[in-house]
Amino acid sequence: MKKLWKKINKQVCQATITVTAALSISAFSVNAEELGYPEKEELKFGFIKLTDMAPIAIAYEKGFFEDEGLYVTIEAQANWKVLLDGVIDGRLDGAHMLAGQPIAATIGYGTEAEIITPFSMDLNGNGITVSNQIWEKMKVNIPKRPDGKPVHPIKADALKPVVEEYLDQGKPFNMGMVFPVSTHNYELRYWLAAGGIHPGFYAPHKGDTSGQLDADVLLSVTPPPQMPATMEAGTIYGYCVGEPWNQQAVFKGIGVPVVTDYEIWKDNPEKVFGISKQFAEKYPNTTIRLTRALIRAAKWLDENNNANRPEAVKILAQSNYVGADAEVIANSMTGTFEYEKGDKREVPDFNVFFRYNATYPYYSDAIWYLTQMRRWGQIDVDKPDSWYFDVAKKVYRPDIYQKAAQSLIADKLMSAADFPTLTTDDGFRAPQTHFIDGIVYNGKAPNEYINKFSIGLKAGDKI
Amino acid sequence: MTSLTEKLQPGKVNLPSWLSKQLNHLGKVIMPLIGIICFLFIWSLSASNIDTSLGKFPGPSAVVTQLGNLHQEHMDERSKEQAFYVRQDKRNADRVAKDPNYVAKIRSYTGKETFYQQIGTSLITVLSGFLLAAIVAIPLGIAIGLSKSLNSAINPMIQIFKPVSPLAWLPLVTMVVSAVYISDDPMFAKSFVNSMVTVTLCCLWPMVIQTSVGVASLNSDWLNVSRVLRLPAFTHVQKIVLPATVPAIFTGMRSALGIAWMVLIAAEMLAQNPGLGKFVWDEFQNGSSQSLSRIMSAVFVIGLIGFLLDRGMLVLQRTLSWDKTSASL
Amino acid sequence: MSTFLNISKIDMVFPTPKGDFTALKEVDLKIKQGEFISLIGHSGCGKSTVLNVVAGLYQATKGGVVLNNKHVLGPGPERAVVFQNHSLLPWLTAYENVELAVKQVFSKKMNSKEMQEWIEHNLKLVHMDHAMHKRPDEISGGMKQRVGIARALAMQPEVLLMDEPFGALDALTRAHMQDSLMEIQDELKNTVIMITHDVDEAVLLSDRIVMMTNGPAATVGEILEVTLPRPRDRIQLASDPHYNELRSKVLKFLYEKQRKVEVISPQQATPTKEEKQSSSEVA
Repeated sequence: MKKLWKKINKQVCQATITVTAALSISAFSVNAEELGYPEKEELKFGFIKLTDMAPIAIAYEKGFFEDEGLYVTIEAQANWKVLLDGVIDGRLDGAHMLAGQPIAATIGYGTEAEIITPFSMDLNGNGITVSNQIWEKMKVNIPKRPDGKPVHPIKADALKPVVEEYLDQGKPFNMGMVFPVSTHNYELRYWLAAGGIHPGFYAPHKGDTSGQLDADVLLSVTPPPQMPATMEAGTIYGYCVGEPWNQQAVFKGIGVPVVTDYEIWKDNPEKVFGISKQFAEKYPNTTIRLTRALIRAAKWLDENNNANRPEAVKILAQSNYVGADAEVIANSMTGTFEYEKGDKREVPDFNVFFRYNATYPYYSDAIWYLTQMRRWGQIDVDKPDSWYFDVAKKVYRPDIYQKAAQSLIADKLMSAADFPTLTTDDGFRAPQTHFIDGIVYNGKAPNEYINKFSIGLKAGDKI
Repeated sequence: MTSLTEKLQPGKVNLPSWLSKQLNHLGKVIMPLIGIICFLFIWSLSASNIDTSLGKFPGPSAVVTQLGNLHQEHMDERSKEQAFYVRQDKRNADRVAKDPNYVAKIRSYTGKETFYQQIGTSLITVLSGFLLAAIVAIPLGIAIGLSKSLNSAINPMIQIFKPVSPLAWLPLVTMVVSAVYISDDPMFAKSFVNSMVTVTLCCLWPMVIQTSVGVASLNSDWLNVSRVLRLPAFTHVQKIVLPATVPAIFTGMRSALGIAWMVLIAAEMLAQNPGLGKFVWDEFQNGSSQSLSRIMSAVFVIGLIGFLLDRGMLVLQRTLSWDKTSASL
Repeated sequence: MSTFLNISKIDMVFPTPKGDFTALKEVDLKIKQGEFISLIGHSGCGKSTVLNVVAGLYQATKGGVVLNNKHVLGPGPERAVVFQNHSLLPWLTAYENVELAVKQVFSKKMNSKEMQEWIEHNLKLVHMDHAMHKRPDEISGGMKQRVGIARALAMQPEVLLMDEPFGALDALTRAHMQDSLMEIQDELKNTVIMITHDVDEAVLLSDRIVMMTNGPAATVGEILEVTLPRPRDRIQLASDPHYNELRSKVLKFLYEKQRKVEVISPQQATPTKEEKQSSSEVA
């Protein structure tokens, strides 16, 4: 069978080669002179079943990886720990990662390893969902619009009386997040703390990695795809997770998303593509090429005002990618978000893959995660600003991104206009203002930022 | 000794006349048929009454539809594979045209594993783990059965490790394999080695125990025959011990294979190693409206394969073992 | 004729959890070459133990066995044993069972053609040539015992030890087997020790009948010379007064002198079991 097939293959090829050989002034061969062929061609990438893995799936399905001469196998992973270990031990060449993962690995919180990221995968894309029961209790505390629907963004202030009621009754209030260094953990904490609810401290130097010291709400880890089932089982009352697991709760009728991370922090950086530093050093061309493929995929996803999203939804709904029903994935991917059943609102930037320099690995993004790690005690002592910058530079690698972007421009696969600030960027976003509590974040002054929060560790604090 | 004579001279039952024989045959076909029909009926009836958050519990028709879908997905994937190779050949040709020194490589297809492939992966894993265990367990069991001191030395370990679910070993196996099995171009994937070693671990104990018990409880007359003939140790093992233990070995192998198949599916689910277990887990995680019926399809396939594996062992036992009476259902 | 097999004052003591158990005490027996000896006695009297000591499967606690001027130190093919339950290897055919023995004993003396002829010859001797490629589970009990005898004969033993060879057979088959055995014995003139429970069998087959006392500490009670001329015919002998006299002597020994008064109590039954157990342990 196989032999026969190869035979046919060859014949077809020979036919096509003769035709194409003359015609092909392939972009691929032109840039090969500058960039060089990939050192390692057969790669395996891991992902977690979340819509924000889309750039990887698109780069595969649209042939962007193959255009780079990369033969990529994509494999779903059980949870973030397995995925990270896979990249560390070399079972995976790269993976869709929580932004906090490469940072935490580099500073040695959890498994210590040098993981870098040349590519930021998306902005936003998460939500916080509570169970129907909690929603009923929260609802009374939320102001209504004239049409009777709740005013957004919903702040944790509305949840606070509910949590207090549970604590008065001596019942712990449990919520789920996906990983101790996940965006979701920090977002959920940010939202809770902004509403005056204490999410608890970590004390790794005392061996306490539960993150529940002084907590009003007990946060624990649940893998994303299991969030709805865990909440349905009553183990947790709510969770913060990426899509489609918030929309899934609406479809199943088991919970109500109350807030998206877009509302907590507009255009927050979310996932990154992580590879080991060793890999990047050993296979520089491969690293640049895979970054190129991912940039093209991200662009494809946002192109023409999200015109390709419906097609992307179909791809993601395949059982080997996200696998949820297409209509569930479509809900958030195509620019809407359904809160309470029937309360579907426009959130055009719920998933951003390319706009607003979404793919550029900004140092300031890394530093924000570090500030939150310090705020909640995962980093147990004060660090100077310079330490924050150093760590960010170790992990976030705009240099690789720039090489990839420039070669894409040179190959005319993309235009300079796609990267408006490529040449002017210093790796720091301008101070960001759109947080739910109104606190401004300036990545150039991390310690100053940490001191602004009323709940959380500040300079000099120690657990 | 008496049991042996009984075994060798099975009491003949007076079979009823041809008529009741015919009825008997008919019953053998009809009763299972009735059983299956009842099962399908109860299943579809109760399925339509169970509402899960992923929709109704799949009934028989949903499973049949899904089996069709799974087949279709396999065929689709195969045509994608063909396209993949066409593209690759073209890309290789382009590169050779540009760089004549380049030796074109054929990289294998990178697409997803289809249901059939997952079945194949699980089967290969379970059989190789099983064979590896047999290679270790049978000589070990014979040695333990022959030597009382070896038996008392090893027995405590066997007794302690035997009741451990091999799944408890899985994390250790995973870590050890990633630490020890390092190769730039490994012959087997690490995930395969992990699953296989786990299967081996769970196959080992029943086989060692059954083999050693078989050897230790060898008919003393046969041993005396060997002694009177002054058979050298190797001939003794080869001509007397090994054949005499074959029924016991097969008993051990059959129960080991049954356990192995169950454990493998669980291990694949837990460790996300390729195979049917991963298929089930992935579908569960997908949480789509089709997930349950796809899982249900896999459940049937898993059961069917387990059944066939057992039957296969039985056929093998009947062909290879002298003691036909021990090869019963 | 001089002593060919000398069983010299053997004691057999088995250690048991309840203390030592003396099975045999000073068993003494001298056997000439070509002699057919029957060991008779009540069950549990230690007949099998004697046989096992001669076979070398047991080591006597005291005393010893000398065969053809050689001390018996362990089992060996020059003292072939026909076991009570034929003990054929069920995974081998009749031919292969005999072959296993022949290959072991004659591998240096015979080429494969000769071995094949020898195996077939022995199977023919016991009238099993028609079924020599059948496995034990495909032939009857009598046939199995025949193969067992063929296997023992094929070793060309100096002494043939038979442990109740026909005990498990029905009366008709047994008579048939006895006749066969006599036929073979006429031809081969083997030295034979046979254990039996059956008085008729003992008188019919033996040159001497060794009657053992009851255990524990069993020993040789009386020895009876059977002077009946050979070949012997069971039908003629049935009305032979000498035969009947010999028969009644044995019966008298067993049922008057060594009568087991008590019903077999567990205590008495135990030694037998222990014997068997220790036999398997030694094995």
